[in-house]
Amino acid sequence: MTRDGIKDLILEIIEDIDEDADFDTLQADKPLRDQLDLDSMDFLDIVMELRKRHKLQIPEEDYPQLATLDSCVNYLEPLLADA
Amino acid sequence: MHVPLLIIGGGLSGLAAALRFARFLPDVLLLEKHSRVGGLNSYYYRNNRLFETGLHAITNYAPAKTKNAPLNRLLRQLKIKRSELDLHQQIQSEVRFLDRESLLFSNDFATLDKEIATKFPAVHTSFQRLLQLIREYDPFRPAPFVSARKVLQETLGDTLLVDMLLCPLMYYGSSLENDMDLGQFVIMFQAIFLEGMFRPGGTIKDLLDLLLAHYHAHGGAIRTKTPVSRIIHSGQKVHGVELTNGEEISCDYILSTIGSEETFALLDKPSPLESLPRLGFVETIFELPPEAPLPGSENRTIIFYNSAETFSYQQPQQLVDFNSGVICMPQNFQDLPPSPFKEVRTTHLASYDNWYKLKEDQASYKTAKEETALASRRVAEKIVGNFAKNIVYRDTFTPLTIERFTAKKKGAIYGNPVKVKDGDIGYDNLFLAGTDQGFLGIVGSMLSGVSIVNQHILPRL
Repeated sequence: MTRDGIKDLILEIIEDIDEDADFDTLQADKPLRDQLDLDSMDFLDIVMELRKRHKLQIPEEDYPQLATLDSCVNYLEPLLADA
Repeated sequence: MHVPLLIIGGGLSGLAAALRFARFLPDVLLLEKHSRVGGLNSYYYRNNRLFETGLHAITNYAPAKTKNAPLNRLLRQLKIKRSELDLHQQIQSEVRFLDRESLLFSNDFATLDKEIATKFPAVHTSFQRLLQLIREYDPFRPAPFVSARKVLQETLGDTLLVDMLLCPLMYYGSSLENDMDLGQFVIMFQAIFLEGMFRPGGTIKDLLDLLLAHYHAHGGAIRTKTPVSRIIHSGQKVHGVELTNGEEISCDYILSTIGSEETFALLDKPSPLESLPRLGFVETIFELPPEAPLPGSENRTIIFYNSAETFSYQQPQQLVDFNSGVICMPQNFQDLPPSPFKEVRTTHLASYDNWYKLKEDQASYKTAKEETALASRRVAEKIVGNFAKNIVYRDTFTPLTIERFTAKKKGAIYGNPVKVKDGDIGYDNLFLAGTDQGFLGIVGSMLSGVSIVNQHILPRL
């Protein structure tokens, strides 16, 4: 999957969690949670959706690597190389 | 048979936990002892109609735009749209201390604030300080017990107001006699006064059916009339359950929503938690024709009353304490569809032990139930107006009825006074959710199930 593809995937998952999420002003290098008003419970949905859709097992200690859109792409790029 | 997650108890916390898990992994099995789900908030058929149990009103009302309100967080977690629920807000409710003072409140906090400014002008500034404290307090951070009564007394300095604020919060969720933990107080204050109350347009059955429909759509499985006889375990690890019919089901995780002592009993271990008195209740439903007048209550949803010198929230010496209680008019929510009947529902504190003594003698038990309904009606009539001649049907639940149908030990609807806030009862893969975890009310107990699954189970699978 390309970096743009991964970005779209994350945004699609977030939109699925909160259909009112506003991506227009989203900064890719700033924490998603603060910008989109997501709480830790919502955040877990991102992890679980990645697991459901791409059979990705993300260990708890790696959750911080999913903090921003950029860091998500960096972290997921090698894992989704064949997707 | 093997499942990754097995949930014991199909009350609202178990249902929500099961649905939350099934959204990502469908192989979850929910076991319910009774023929119907819902636990405390369920229903039964009598007199050719459906009667709700438990439900007076659902606390934690929140408008759609408050994204982080418990109700909206819960719906997101379960992927249920608000439009699937037909929400009707309360009209207004009241805390009435007979011959002393009355406080109205509604889903607009300004109602209560204005009442306090008018009726307790001397302490209105202190009340603002209390609100500040509530806003800043994090009730979810683990902390030792702090007496809410003591903090309220110190902050407000007016015993009547302290009692009047505690009365509805205790009746709607305190398992402890005469006091609450400050964290619990903050949660309940938020749920009842700052957020407010609502109910579904239909019945509790519609809500339960909606949850079941979502759960089945995700592939989740449920077995009713399926009591568990023991939890199979070695050391700190659980391996599965044995059902009363002898069948064994193995699993990776167990979530128990049946209470802490009840769970330890299935593990064949004494509960290590402190044993405090449990609070029992009696409830009576009076059905009236829709046109029956209730002059004292036409625009009241719930009335929390007290007629004694001081408000006492404890196990009574007698069968029932009629000095205080809750009177609910379930038809008094905004814009409800027309109904072929009207109800007055009353709740009072009751002594399980005293009712238990009558158990063997069916005649005295029955008489005591009749007398309870009569005394409860009389006290309610003083507040809402006479309705005796209009009663078309009546039913009374004692703490024994509640224990029999909900399996809540001693009929204590709010469970063990000692809560296990993190759901950890000392096992690697067995966790507790629901009433004994400490979140109460329909929204609270559902969030309990969801958050324990989120915290302990989903990230590890």
